[in-house]
Amino acid sequence: MRTPDEAPRRRITRGSKSFRRLSGGLALLLALITVGFAYAALSPTPQTAQAAAVDPEMIAAGKNLYMNSCITCHGANLQGVQDHGPSLIGVGEAAAYFQLSTGRMPAAENAAQMPRKPAFFTPEEIDQLGAFIQANGGGPQVPEGQLRDDAEVAKGGELYRLNCASCHNFTGAGGALSQGKYAPALSEATNSEIYAAMLTGPENMPKFSDGQLTPDEKKAIISFVQMNKETIDPGGLPLGGFGPAPEGLIAFLVGMVAIVGVTLWMGSKA
Amino acid sequence: MSGDSNVEVPSDEVLASMGREELARLGAKLDGVELVEYGERYEPGSPADKHAERAVSRWFVLSALFGLAMIGIFIWWPAGYQPPGSDKQLMYALYTPLLGVTLGGAIACLGVGVIALAKKLAPHEVAVQQRHIGMSAEVDRRTLGAEVFDVVDKTNIKRRGMLKGTLGLAGGVIGLVAIVPVLGGFIKNPWAKGAKSDLWVTGWAPVAGKKVRMAQIDGTPVRPEDMAAGAIMTVFPGVPGGAKMSDSAVMLIRLRSDEKVKIRDGQQGWEFGDYYAYSKICTHVGCPTSLFEAQTGRILCPCHQSQFDVNDGCKPVFGPATRPLPQLPIALDEEGYFIAVSDFHEAVGPGFWENGKHPAWKASPKESS
Amino acid sequence: MSRLTTATAKPGGSMASKALDGADLRYHNARPLRTQLNKVFPTHWSFMLGEAALYSFLVLLLSGIYLTLFFDASMGETVYQGVFDKLRGVPMSRAFASTLDISFEVRGGLLIRQIHHWAALLFLASMMLHMMRVFFTGAFRKPREANWILGVLLLVLGMAEGFMGYSLPDDLLSGTGLRAVSAFILSIPVIGTWAHWAVFGGDYPGELIIGRFYSLHILLIPGLILAVIGLHVALVWFQKHTQFPGKRETEENVVGVRVLPTFAAKGGGFFAVVFGFIAIMAGVFQINPVWNLGPYNSAQVSAGVQPDFYMGFLDGMVRVWPAWEPRNIFGHYMIPAVFFPAIVGATVLMILVGAYPWIEKKFTKDNAMHNLLQRPRDVPVRTALGVAFLTFYVLNLINGANDIFALKLDISLNVMTWIGRIGSFVFPLIAYVVTYRLCLGLQHSDRAVLEHGIETGIIKRLPNGAFIEVHQPLGGVDEHGHPIPLEYQGAPVPKRMNQLGYAGKAVVGVIKARDDTGLIHHEALDAAEETGNGGTNGNGGTSGALRPRDEAGTHSGH
Repeated sequence: MRTPDEAPRRRITRGSKSFRRLSGGLALLLALITVGFAYAALSPTPQTAQAAAVDPEMIAAGKNLYMNSCITCHGANLQGVQDHGPSLIGVGEAAAYFQLSTGRMPAAENAAQMPRKPAFFTPEEIDQLGAFIQANGGGPQVPEGQLRDDAEVAKGGELYRLNCASCHNFTGAGGALSQGKYAPALSEATNSEIYAAMLTGPENMPKFSDGQLTPDEKKAIISFVQMNKETIDPGGLPLGGFGPAPEGLIAFLVGMVAIVGVTLWMGSKA
Repeated sequence: MSGDSNVEVPSDEVLASMGREELARLGAKLDGVELVEYGERYEPGSPADKHAERAVSRWFVLSALFGLAMIGIFIWWPAGYQPPGSDKQLMYALYTPLLGVTLGGAIACLGVGVIALAKKLAPHEVAVQQRHIGMSAEVDRRTLGAEVFDVVDKTNIKRRGMLKGTLGLAGGVIGLVAIVPVLGGFIKNPWAKGAKSDLWVTGWAPVAGKKVRMAQIDGTPVRPEDMAAGAIMTVFPGVPGGAKMSDSAVMLIRLRSDEKVKIRDGQQGWEFGDYYAYSKICTHVGCPTSLFEAQTGRILCPCHQSQFDVNDGCKPVFGPATRPLPQLPIALDEEGYFIAVSDFHEAVGPGFWENGKHPAWKASPKESS
Repeated sequence: MSRLTTATAKPGGSMASKALDGADLRYHNARPLRTQLNKVFPTHWSFMLGEAALYSFLVLLLSGIYLTLFFDASMGETVYQGVFDKLRGVPMSRAFASTLDISFEVRGGLLIRQIHHWAALLFLASMMLHMMRVFFTGAFRKPREANWILGVLLLVLGMAEGFMGYSLPDDLLSGTGLRAVSAFILSIPVIGTWAHWAVFGGDYPGELIIGRFYSLHILLIPGLILAVIGLHVALVWFQKHTQFPGKRETEENVVGVRVLPTFAAKGGGFFAVVFGFIAIMAGVFQINPVWNLGPYNSAQVSAGVQPDFYMGFLDGMVRVWPAWEPRNIFGHYMIPAVFFPAIVGATVLMILVGAYPWIEKKFTKDNAMHNLLQRPRDVPVRTALGVAFLTFYVLNLINGANDIFALKLDISLNVMTWIGRIGSFVFPLIAYVVTYRLCLGLQHSDRAVLEHGIETGIIKRLPNGAFIEVHQPLGGVDEHGHPIPLEYQGAPVPKRMNQLGYAGKAVVGVIKARDDTGLIHHEALDAAEETGNGGTNGNGGTSGALRPRDEAGTHSGH
């Protein structure tokens, strides 16, 4: 199942101002229709893990896993435990998928922020847990199918710079937040993880609902992030993608060291 | 630079009889240079001599090889841009590095060769040159001074008060003539529009009495249901060119309904439900402060790490910023889209001398942080 | 005098000598040319750092001229339609679009862009190292104060030139920096808004600034830099270079090599090496990938923004300055917080650095002419002051990227800021004290060697059971076998026996030892001629035999 790709997308502003206003309104309309189509297309797909509502076996398996691994911090009824873990009612399968597949949950310790680590559960188990969470209060779900739209990568870039780069850096290298928190690097993030993160806003990340960034826009952003990772930098070693700080370091550690080395050789006796 | 006067200049006949090295040493001596150590480095044709020549020549060979490689790569290597995913991408990405290494290698090897030539093959020398210590000769200094002041005396400048006055006047005016048009062209009055100066007015000011809608970067107007709790959206004045206005970007934030929010005095009711709008332009030096931490309610500026607390009227809580992010009063229009009720009630962005001089704002001095 | 050439101008003289004569007939240049070619320059390695700066500047000129042929310094909006797919269809300024074209569509253009940017970093970096060398050796003292000022001017001009240069592509990173500079200008009391309107032609960003920066960047500032470099080098040329004290070096002479051939060849070769290294770096390390940064938009930003390293200390000071500003002055006027670190701080630092020769003169009352350099350890106060300043500078350079340090070293951003705030006061103080003690310690160690000789590492047990280390005296010994103490003269002192030649000569060669038959040893010849030339450490110590000392006592424990 995939979102109807042929549905018209919003385009980047160009051309006359009136055109822009008109196209804005039109685009909203079309985007809303797209969302509607996407929703309609996605809902009745019972053959995968998404079909939480109608697969009691999976929910039961998920509940089993939950009772073993999650209950201490999130409570017996997903209501959360003070100072340990938040309520999971209504967070949706997407949030569970993000936290579990990036290994952030189950948490190893109560730190300023949960670091990414290898996933503890198998993909099947993650699906089961997700089904269980979804069955308790519903919530956002990551759509199936193609989550990238490489044709719209430039638009994705614009949206990335507006909404994402301020925390995750130009190149997705990550960035520091206040008091030891940080926006992680996107180097290992998969399409579904990025989609789930935008949808659910894990930890301190804001949520980007489909009303704010349409599924198409989310796909464009994912495309931009992933294409950045697939790009082999044309100008040589990228130095971590952090800009002038590492460049200055290299200027001294490589450039000046080499030049001073030559002056030492020139100044030495033959 | 005169040579040492105590070196005797040989007669033409002696000069004609002198050998080349003798002449060379004489030349140095005439310029006050003594060649303490000077001469060939090797016996000609000896193993050391040949080795040195080979060692230097190697660099020149290497330089030529790099140079040829560079030309070949420049011309024949596939240099056209290849997108990610293409199997030719690696070849394309290697173009600039290879070009740099071969070009640099060619030039650097030539340089190393020339330095090696100077170190290994050019004559060994330790030269000692005398400095000119102290001042110039008494006669030179005295005559120079006399020449200058004698002209002054003879022209009788000291006596000619009118001349001095008028010359000074003309000089001063010419100086102004040089400065006034050059600088004058740049002078523009930032307050020409008075209270409507660009420093005080943003794109949120109602246009012809019509309140401005909030729009996303592509012009889409924003409704409350577009945002989830714990979301931030950068919105722009929904007017033509609104997304390009440098001071008008606003963070529309939807807080969770259980969050306690302290509102700055006199700004009650500027929010709409859980929706708050704050200027995105940092009050420190104007970077977009968009690092919104949804759980802690902090907004961080990535330029100088000022931190603002959304739950406390966006007042600065850390870093160099001193003033809260200005809040924009918002409401919904009849179609359910967000609008700005009015423009900001304080200057947006980095501070400036006349920051609080706006006629309407004077009455309420800004609270200190 | 011009008859110097007559000896070689006999019938059958070479083409070259005919050309020399021809030139002399027209320009009468034999004498002045010979004098310049006979100019002597010392050969110490550290004297080449300024040359490295000069050569990076030449590389900047060459690559910069090339870039002007493709760059379009316009803020007019265009929609990019070039080959780079990640930005195709995005509205941007023509400056940014033409930078993309240089990077992706001009063959070899990306390399030239990167050469230009790396050369800029090395230009500033080698100026800074050059300046440190001049400072720590006291080369700025009378009669060279003017050249110190010219050097400081060059550094400031270089910073301005660099800032304008990296602002030109109108990308998101440099635009953020430009926004900060706009705020710095606005922050100036009384005239700030007027100055801003004068520079930007209106509110930020306006539509003029890139074009204005372009004019300044390719015309005015490089012209000024070139003129000041000319003056700077001319003064070195005519005042003659300073030198370290040594066997032959005195206040009255210059010891080294003449311009022809060695100095000129080394200089020319060094230019090529600097150029070559910059080109290699430009190939190996990607710099300022504007296509990753995207076009400027005042509502967009990235995490981890910071300026190029030479502006970093300024940004660092701005980051750690406390949230303090005077408001409601004369009613409703204010001075924004950023004014103090960015405008006052930077100006005070530059004035302090520029005025240092006179500050030192005021305290030392030293108004003598100096052509001999000092070793840093021999002027502990200056060295300690310099290191304290560098500590402050480097700390604020780190502050200027404190978010990246916070992220990469897993330190809280707030902690980093506080380290910067407290450290700006504490670290320079610590650096001062440590450096001062270190200088005295090094002096002490030199004096000990001059007094007692070099530690040989040979431990000897005396008949009375005591252990002593045998010392090799540098000077002679008196009739009791005690070393004759040598005077401390501020020149290097050998510390290991190898430096006296006890290790013998290293055997050179990869597969078999190199055959050095035919090598002429000039040093040996001249050393034999000279006897006791009154130098600082050439008092025949090298020829003294390894003589065990009899006494314990003063020599055993350093």
